[in-house]
Amino acid sequence: MAVLIIADHDNHAVRDTTHKSVTAAAGLSGDIDILVLGQGARAAADAAAKITGVRKVLLAESPALGAMVAEAVEAVVLPLMAGYDALLTPATSAGKNVAPRIAAKLDVAPISDIVEVIDASTFTRPIYAGNALETIKSSDAKKVITVRPTVFAAAAEGGSAAVEVVSAAGDAGKSRFVSEETVKSARPELGAARIIVSGGRAMGSADEFKAVLEPLADMLGAAIGASRAAVDAGYAPNDFQVGQTGKVVAPDLYIAIGISGAIQHLAGMKDSKVIVAINKDPDAPIFQVADYGLVGDYKTLVPQFSAELQKMGN
Amino acid sequence: MQIYTAPLRDMRFVLHELHGLERLYALPAFADFSDELVDSVLEEAGKVTREVLLPINASGDEEGCVLDNGVVRTPKGFKEAYNVFREGGWNALSAEPEWGGQGLPKCVGSAVEEMICGANLSFSLYPGLTAGAVEALKSHASDELKQRFVPKMVEGTWAGSMCLTEAHCGTDLGLLRTKATPQEDGSYKIDGAKIFISSGDHDLTPNIIHLVLARLPDAPEGVRGISLFLAPKFLPDADGNPGQRNGIQCTALEHKMGIKASATCQLSLDNATGWLVGEPNKGMAAMFTMMNTERVGVGIQALGVAEAAYQSAVAYARDRIQGRALGGAQHPDQAADPIIVHPDVRRMLMTMRVNNEGCRALAAWVSQALDLRTHAATEEERLEAEDFVALMTPVVKALFTDLGYESVNLAMQVHGGHGYIRDHGMEQYVRDTRITMIYEGTNGVQALDLVGRKMPAHMGRYLRRFFHPVAEFIAANKADPDIGKMVEALEKAFGALQLTTAQLAQSGMKDPEEAGAAATEYLRLFGLVALAYLWARMAKVAAGKLAAGDPDAAFYSAKLISARFYYERILPQTSALFLSIKAGKGAMMEMAEAAF
Amino acid sequence: MKVLVPVKRVLDYNVKVRVKADGSGVDLSNMKMSMNPFDEIAIEEAVRLKEAGTATEVVAVSIGVPQAQDTLRTALAMGADRALLIQSDQDLEPLSVAKLLKAVVAEEQPTVVILGKQAIDGDNNAVGQMLAALLDWPQATFASKVEIAGNKATVMREVDGGLQTIEVDLPAVITVDLRLNEPRYASLPNIMKARKKPLDVKEAASYGVDIAPRLQVLKVAEPAKRKAGIKVEDAADLVMRLKNEAGVL
Repeated sequence: MAVLIIADHDNHAVRDTTHKSVTAAAGLSGDIDILVLGQGARAAADAAAKITGVRKVLLAESPALGAMVAEAVEAVVLPLMAGYDALLTPATSAGKNVAPRIAAKLDVAPISDIVEVIDASTFTRPIYAGNALETIKSSDAKKVITVRPTVFAAAAEGGSAAVEVVSAAGDAGKSRFVSEETVKSARPELGAARIIVSGGRAMGSADEFKAVLEPLADMLGAAIGASRAAVDAGYAPNDFQVGQTGKVVAPDLYIAIGISGAIQHLAGMKDSKVIVAINKDPDAPIFQVADYGLVGDYKTLVPQFSAELQKMGN
Repeated sequence: MQIYTAPLRDMRFVLHELHGLERLYALPAFADFSDELVDSVLEEAGKVTREVLLPINASGDEEGCVLDNGVVRTPKGFKEAYNVFREGGWNALSAEPEWGGQGLPKCVGSAVEEMICGANLSFSLYPGLTAGAVEALKSHASDELKQRFVPKMVEGTWAGSMCLTEAHCGTDLGLLRTKATPQEDGSYKIDGAKIFISSGDHDLTPNIIHLVLARLPDAPEGVRGISLFLAPKFLPDADGNPGQRNGIQCTALEHKMGIKASATCQLSLDNATGWLVGEPNKGMAAMFTMMNTERVGVGIQALGVAEAAYQSAVAYARDRIQGRALGGAQHPDQAADPIIVHPDVRRMLMTMRVNNEGCRALAAWVSQALDLRTHAATEEERLEAEDFVALMTPVVKALFTDLGYESVNLAMQVHGGHGYIRDHGMEQYVRDTRITMIYEGTNGVQALDLVGRKMPAHMGRYLRRFFHPVAEFIAANKADPDIGKMVEALEKAFGALQLTTAQLAQSGMKDPEEAGAAATEYLRLFGLVALAYLWARMAKVAAGKLAAGDPDAAFYSAKLISARFYYERILPQTSALFLSIKAGKGAMMEMAEAAF
Repeated sequence: MKVLVPVKRVLDYNVKVRVKADGSGVDLSNMKMSMNPFDEIAIEEAVRLKEAGTATEVVAVSIGVPQAQDTLRTALAMGADRALLIQSDQDLEPLSVAKLLKAVVAEEQPTVVILGKQAIDGDNNAVGQMLAALLDWPQATFASKVEIAGNKATVMREVDGGLQTIEVDLPAVITVDLRLNEPRYASLPNIMKARKKPLDVKEAASYGVDIAPRLQVLKVAEPAKRKAGIKVEDAADLVMRLKNEAGVL
């Protein structure tokens, strides 16, 4: 049979979390179809069609699907699942919201946040904030899986699958989208960025957080992340949070500034290729995962670092 | 770095497995309680102390208190922390339900106190002083005074302080000069100046109830002429709320070595209105009623901090890599071995550990007696408990604080150079605990109390309350397969203590200076034997659990090894003490004053 | 309005995680266990609803070993009115948990079920969504703000791009995220009162629900350790190494 992947997209393009899910899906057997759910998402569907290894793209649109309302997603996906062995979605907030619902409707055990596909029934996933990895085997005939994108390579582009429109069956309407506050930024998205500069509670205020991290992020073309403590204190919005219950990231370079390195934060970034820590407490746990540690006050060190980057650029 | 996780497992071991609380649950006052409830309370206390009190310990020390236009401000976060503490009902933990308290046994209260002090010693002094004032009022104040003040103090809505010391008299309160003049309406006007008053003024509560020692006109000289008064910061109005400001002012904050977040005040009493607590000229007796609980409390303060220091030292010793193990590299993949591999570091860590756990066991024993002396069914049992508390109070106070101070210094030593640096928090522990050896009666005074008052009291009746159970235990366990060897050593040390006691009783009667000269070392000898007795009992419990295949084998094995360390490395100190004491007052008293 | 709050007893979040040498799981023997931090937030929210007069009763339920009673007592001490322990010696999967909770919902008839979004041991983030599906109720996950009025709940959710607000008809399942509230400390008087509140114990088998596992844990391992890093001298040194050594600039 086949695998259905729910795409992660922004209506115009498909995020590379989707490409990575395609790679993961390749470890299962059967054709790979992508389902684009949204409103005004045709361009995203066309983009999805270009991913190598995709058989066809299904597009379903409605206002509720545009907001990824779980019940509306269920109404579309459930009937489709008759034709698929597995449902995959990147472990985004949308994916995590809908996948378990569909799994329950199918009466199968959901498999969350996989980091490895061993075979069509066997997967590895992190538990205890990534402090342990469990390998599990599912005996369900159909699998519902969310994929941790950071560990999979993105599938290439070059294909030309067909795009098929699927009707968005009405849902019961017990759940309605009201509003959204998303920050549109010129910066790369946290999940996709090659470099992330991240700030902690040491910043002391929202203004300071911006003042310290924005210029540095601009210089490096980086995304901005934050520790939970910084978000709780109101220095950064919640979508900047990196950690066990925030975003899990694995950039090439993660620069942690004024972040002590609580286990829950490490869970979100310890797979980064290179980790730099700047902190004035030499005993801060972050130094245990940092490849390069710079001990001192960020107020002095970050300007120095920026100056050195400037020099290097010239 | 300062870390602290309440030692709940060890507290549960000491309360439930070593001593057991069944005797208390059998009493009407504690009939509603159970091990389960006690554990829930300890669990929550552990959370609150770590999450609310610990985070403001170092910052409170850094900031200190400020006297600003006659008002004392506590450091950032203290007000909020006090509110969480008060709202959680923690201030009222051991107070009787009739006064609005939760009525929990004092031995549970002591465990919670240990946690509060381990997390934030300065903070502990605010509710601590209130508790002391409440004790004195409950025992001696008129019903009218009690009704007006005790309930709010038990709640923690109003705080308390104890105003005894003056510039020229601390240990010898007989010299005190604060005067109280009777007024027509039955109140008094109090004038004088006090120093070193903990929690003398602060911004945690809308009123502070000061208990003040003063002399009435024509009072006899010395300690027989001292009376106890209650003088609030704000006089309650008709509705019982803080009304008119009274004539008690903080004129200066003491600049101290440690406990900097504790507002230690110089207070000026200027025509302050107060009321007599208890009988005229019986002030010292009134003070002494609550002195026992306070002194045990100070011992627990030191234990709390010593435990926190130990935890930090262990964490440091595990992480800090320097040099290689003497027998060859144990972590060849790392640049060096963690210092916990070194025998000398182990010696320091084990010393702290066995002193902490031994003192915890003794604290639980003594605090259960605090419960029994009030609530036990028969007069006989209550007297037995009262005697035991009287005897052990000076030991708990001096031993725990001396050992505690040694421990926090060992913790600093384990940290090497970093121990001397503020950021790591060890030097604060040293500065904070130093006072515990001094206040609430200096350790020298405790020793004199033990030797001069408690040892000879009632023909040795107090002594027997301790000697008897020890002797019984020794007789019953000399041949025990698990702890027999330990008990032999205990027998020797106990024998030395008994011999010394007899010798001191004799020489002390002939020449009080002999008693004075031996007192401090005698107290240490006494304390070491008490800990040895408890270690042998703890070893017996642990051996039994291991033999029964208890799943918590790691905990019990560690207990056994700790007991062994105590016996092998600490108890031998008793031999040296025995000899020192035996040497008598000779040389120290012979030296001419001019020659110093 | 009755609120049902499932709570889970998990390894305390401060405890260092140790994987058993035989790879069969994480070592929990004699380790400190506590209420899942997200579940504390769920209980707090439910208790606040009661204090605001919106909810009339808060019922806490846990599925697990007998010691989970301690967790339920904490919930009672925080303000829950009643507690139910469904005893099970085996570790149950989220799907089985959801099915058992569905049976509890049938008995208890709550208007809202509030759960923590994930348990910090399994990190599955699944039970709430599955329970909603089994009940055919709407779900509002990752809540950072909850308002209940009449027969609707307006929930602000933390999502990848920021915050999303949805409205759901009651009855509904809400899962809570970190910033929804700050759980209270149980006060001493409430700890004492909690002992008198009802705590029922039932066996999982008595519900007649299929709780046979679909997933088999083949092994549990530690993640690969990162190589130890170095401390650099200064910013210049750092930039040089990042460029030449690490090749990331």
